[in-house]
Amino acid sequence: MTSPIPGVSLAGFTGVSAISGAASTPAASSTSGSDFASVLASSLDSLQSTQSKADNLATQAATGDLQDVSDYMIASNEASLATEMVVSIKNQAVSAFNEIMRMQV
Amino acid sequence: MALFDALSIAGSGMLAHRKWLDAVSDNISNINTPSRTSEDAFKERMVDVQAVNYGQGDGGVKVAGVTFGSGEGRVVYEPDNPLADANGNVKYPDIDLGDQMAELMMAQRGYQANATVIDRATDAYKAALQLGKG
Repeated sequence: MTSPIPGVSLAGFTGVSAISGAASTPAASSTSGSDFASVLASSLDSLQSTQSKADNLATQAATGDLQDVSDYMIASNEASLATEMVVSIKNQAVSAFNEIMRMQV
Repeated sequence: MALFDALSIAGSGMLAHRKWLDAVSDNISNINTPSRTSEDAFKERMVDVQAVNYGQGDGGVKVAGVTFGSGEGRVVYEPDNPLADANGNVKYPDIDLGDQMAELMMAQRGYQANATVIDRATDAYKAALQLGKG
């Protein structure tokens, strides 16, 4: 899942970094790279690990190895929140890109 | 995950209260278990909990261990019990049922409170994700 979207990040979102750098928000400076593409890539990585954790717990629930019911519900809740977050970051990025594409020359 | 910390912290609270519920149910289920006067009676189980890196690090609570109550018990005269000694006495655990019921209520309410925290935190995070969509 991660492989196609970093391809998108290479396509020219690095240009957005000037905007996020100008804003100099604490959230942007706390990440390793302040540009938008690396923020998107790192949030995709964390989404991947959250989803695989929820998947493991779902397997445990199916095989009867699950120790704690709340564990699985919390993990799936976290996975759905993280998915929602990454998707909305992606949507904002695409709409910014479209906005620039519509610019009159 | 650092982003949705409130969920995992409340999850640790749910786990600790579930262990407490387990201990209380163990105590109540053995409240009428007799034993020989030469042996220890069933020992009450008490869960020790501990804060995790309070104010720094992960936060939350963890179960540090289990403490056992006294095995002394109370001696009851029951000559027809197969476990009775020469004087007709057996031992019953010295656990107070009223005490256990109070602990049961506290553990159950604590569990519910942590579940509510997870619900509310999810709502809050969802509200944050709606920012800028209007």
